[in-house]
Amino acid sequence: MKSLPIVLMALLLACSAGAQAQTRLLDDRVTLSGFGTLGLIHSDQGHGDFVRDIGQPKGADKHWSARTDTRLGLQANVRLTDEIDGVVQGMSQYHSSGDFSPELMLAFVRYAPDPGFQLRVGRLGWDVDIISESRYVGYAYPWIRPPVDHFGMLQLTWIDGAEVTLTRPVGSDLAWARFFAGRSDSRFFMTDALQADLDAHNVVGGHLNYETGPWRLRAGYTQIHSDVSFSGADADLIGQLYSVNANRYLNYLTGFDELQVYSLGAAYSSGPLQLQAIWNRDILADGDTWLDTGFMSAAWRMESWTPYLLLSSVRTHDSREDPVGSNIDQHTWSLGLRYDVATNLALKTQFDRIHTRSPGLLWRSADDHLKGDQSNLVSLGLDFIF
Amino acid sequence: MTRFMRLTRVATVAMLVISTTARADIAIVINDASSIRQISHSEAVNIFMGRYRRLPNDSVALPIDQAPLKARFYKALVQKDMAEINSYWARLVFSGRASPPQQAGTYEDLVDIVTHNNNALGYVDATQMPAHMHVLLTLSE
Repeated sequence: MKSLPIVLMALLLACSAGAQAQTRLLDDRVTLSGFGTLGLIHSDQGHGDFVRDIGQPKGADKHWSARTDTRLGLQANVRLTDEIDGVVQGMSQYHSSGDFSPELMLAFVRYAPDPGFQLRVGRLGWDVDIISESRYVGYAYPWIRPPVDHFGMLQLTWIDGAEVTLTRPVGSDLAWARFFAGRSDSRFFMTDALQADLDAHNVVGGHLNYETGPWRLRAGYTQIHSDVSFSGADADLIGQLYSVNANRYLNYLTGFDELQVYSLGAAYSSGPLQLQAIWNRDILADGDTWLDTGFMSAAWRMESWTPYLLLSSVRTHDSREDPVGSNIDQHTWSLGLRYDVATNLALKTQFDRIHTRSPGLLWRSADDHLKGDQSNLVSLGLDFIF
Repeated sequence: MTRFMRLTRVATVAMLVISTTARADIAIVINDASSIRQISHSEAVNIFMGRYRRLPNDSVALPIDQAPLKARFYKALVQKDMAEINSYWARLVFSGRASPPQQAGTYEDLVDIVTHNNNALGYVDATQMPAHMHVLLTLSE
């Protein structure tokens, strides 16, 4: 299964090279494009380092850092026939390998015989809620980064599998549904000395969508079954201290091996006003522990300027006494401004005020003083597409 | 002098009328050979914004952008400027969901494409209606 993206990419390139242009409209068979962000972040928090998501092994400390938000993506779209096309995308960002090594983000073939039916097979984006698929494309949204309280925890980057989308008009509205199944790999960091590797061998989900006028509404459900391996100095220590199998013990305590995600989302875009709100509930194995994450955002466009306000929150519900210190309770107010310099280039600045009652996994090098503390972040960003 | 002022006033009104007409309307057009006579505003949004590209006769719609008129067209269609339109497409393109309409660089290219494809939809300034095409929807600016 791991060789699937490579096979698909080779297939796409071979087909595109061999195919002959059929009509005037299909002359542009291959389209190359890209997106990127140059990001700078400054934190005033000395008791913990800020990360964009728990896949980042190191965070932004009390200085300026360009690591957290900077990325570059390149994409090729290949049209094979009127009904079949393919997409390959690679992206470089600071991620779980601890460097900017590029990752294959998309590599799929799409069969769309009809506007109401679409099948995609290969490496697909993680489409669990209304913007999760495009969360790396800074130019597509007003903010510096999608809210960390919501997108920082328990996210997969991609799935290798298949997906079906069915679309039907309802009067002047649109109703559509998508179902997907596949597998994924993921690594995230629980502390500086404890990492978890997820072999998500069974990812199944879907969502129902309704689009009416300026509104997009979505309700979704996904379940993920994984084999989780814990490693690092902390895992070794747990094994030695309690004379137990650290993997089995940590799996039992965290419940990361079985995850269910319920999601509700709404977006509104009309004239200068853009509103977005998403709420997710991530239920862990035993069903007694879950995370509620969500955000609300409002942006108002005035010529090239788009000021925005964002409120996000994450909270773990756990009937136990937080056995591995992974429970989170945090909310963030953000205020920012996007300035469109050109029609493919935007400058952004954002101020975040984070209230951390319990940092859980969302901070690196955190000490006890972070509990109950507030952090102020200033970010600058340059987003572009080409 | 009075006559001159009257002439000036008439000329001013005439120029206003002409300039208003020149920028007043954008017409979404299709090849005369197509059986489609009209589309609704929401169908036009679905087709050009990549949401649902089906024509009323059940065939697949092929929207074409005309570069010189693009900014005016999207302002009239969805009240958004080009940075907002590009931002919208960035979300769909880089998640591999949909592709924007094919781009015609000039009015002549657009006419050429729509003339040769019965399912192609283009847009033109209403004062520049090409031959052998009919109007599906008129957007006021």
